[in-house]
Amino acid sequence: MSNIILGVGEFGISKTPGDIVKTFALGSCVAVILMCPKTRTVGMVHVALPESKINLEKVKTRPGYFADTGITALLKLMSTMGCEPKGRGFIVKLAGGAKIMDPNNTFNIGKRNALSIKKVLWKYGLGAVAEDLGATYSRTVSVSVSTGEITLSSPGRSDWKL
Amino acid sequence: MKQRASKEEILAAIREVPLLSPSASQLLQLTSSSDHELSEVIDIVKCDAALTARLLKIVNSVAYGLVHQVTTIDRAVGYLGERMIASIALEDSAAALFHKELAGYDSPKSELWNHDLRTAIASREIATYAKQPLNQDLAFTAGILHAVGKAVLSDFLTQSSNEVLTGIDADEVSDYLAGERKLVGIDHTEAGYELAKNWELPEPLIAAIRYHHNPAATPEEHRALVYAVHLGCIIAMMCGSQASDALQYHLDQDYTKYFDLTSEQLTMVMLEVNERFDTLHNAMTDAGGEH
Repeated sequence: MSNIILGVGEFGISKTPGDIVKTFALGSCVAVILMCPKTRTVGMVHVALPESKINLEKVKTRPGYFADTGITALLKLMSTMGCEPKGRGFIVKLAGGAKIMDPNNTFNIGKRNALSIKKVLWKYGLGAVAEDLGATYSRTVSVSVSTGEITLSSPGRSDWKL
Repeated sequence: MKQRASKEEILAAIREVPLLSPSASQLLQLTSSSDHELSEVIDIVKCDAALTARLLKIVNSVAYGLVHQVTTIDRAVGYLGERMIASIALEDSAAALFHKELAGYDSPKSELWNHDLRTAIASREIATYAKQPLNQDLAFTAGILHAVGKAVLSDFLTQSSNEVLTGIDADEVSDYLAGERKLVGIDHTEAGYELAKNWELPEPLIAAIRYHHNPAATPEEHRALVYAVHLGCIIAMMCGSQASDALQYHLDQDYTKYFDLTSEQLTMVMLEVNERFDTLHNAMTDAGGEH
C-alpha cells in the first residue's frame, strides 16, 4: 500500500488495492482521472497548461504538462496494464481549474485548461461523468485504487467527494 | 466564539520580531538602489562567513549543474546573481518566519517560502513585459518579501480559515484581507508593513508588502513594481498553493496600464515559474535550507 504523489505535469497509474493516487494544491491546473473498470487501473495526470505549442521541448520531458499531450501519454501508460488503448469504457472525472476573483476572466487559465482537456477527451470519444471545476479555491485530489472513490480537500474547508 | 487578539496586541507582537541580520539588511538596501556595483554585493557577502558557505553550497549543488566547482565568492555571486544572493540572505536571516507552519492559514511548514519564491519568479517575469523599464531584480526581491505579514498574523488567526471563507462565500466580506480585518482589526499587508518599517526596509519593498493586493493605492513612483508583485502573487496562487487564502483576492485590471501581457504570454510566465521554482527550490534544499 503506498501513496503515488503526482507533481505538476506528472502522470501515474496504479492497480494495487490500497494505493492512493494523489496530487496536491491544484490552482488553475486540472487533474484528469481515468479509471479502467476491466483491469481496475486508476490513472491521473496533473495538467498545467492548455496547449503544448508554447514549448515543444517540454513535451519531450514532461508530456503530462499540457492538456493536448497529457491525456494521450496517460492512455499509453495505462495500455501497458492491459487497458484499452483509446480508453473505451473508461470512467473519466475532472477536478481543478480554479481562478482568481476576476469578473472579466482575463487570467482564467483554469477554464482554458478544462476546455482543452474536454476537446481531447471528445477526440477519444470520452466524456467526464463527474467534474468539480472552476470556482476560487485550490484542490488536493486523492483517488483510492481499491474503491475508485475520489476525495477533494482544500485548506479551511471540509473534504468532499467527487 | 474564540476570543481574538486586539490590533494593539498584534502590533506589540510585531515589534518583538527579531531584526534581520546586518548582511541581509545591507544587501536589501544595496540591491534596491539602481546605482551600485556587483563588487559591493561581494564585499557584504565576504563579511558573513555563514552566508558565504551557504552560497558556495548552493552554486555547487546538483541543481545548478556546473561542470567545474566554484570555490570563490566572486564567481558564486556572478553565477547566482544579486537577486538570489539577497533572497538567500533573507531566507537564512528570517528562516523562522518564512518556513514556519502557518496554522492561521491551514498552511504546512515552508509553504509560505514556496509561495514567496514562486511569486518572486513570476514578478520578475512580469517585469519583462513592463511598458516602461522596470528593475527585474527588485521585482524578484519584492516577491520574496511580499507576504511576510502572514507569518506574523497567522498566530492570531488560528482556527479562523473556515470562518473567513464562509464570510467570503456569503458575500459578507469581499476578500481574505477583509476577512482578516473583520476578525483581528488588521490584515496581513498592514501587519507586513509594520514589520517592514521595523526592519527599515527600502521604500519600494515596503510598498510591495503594503499594497500587493491593492496596487492602485501605491504611490506613483512604485506603482509599476507593486502591480508586478500583484500579478506575481496571483500567478503563484494559480500555480498551486496550500493555504486557505489561495485565490481569495481580486485581480486589479488596471495592470494593463503598466504591462503588455497577452493570455499566451501569461501561460509562458506560468511555465517559467514552475520550471525555475523546481531548480531554485532543489538548489536551496540540496544546500541545507529549511525545507
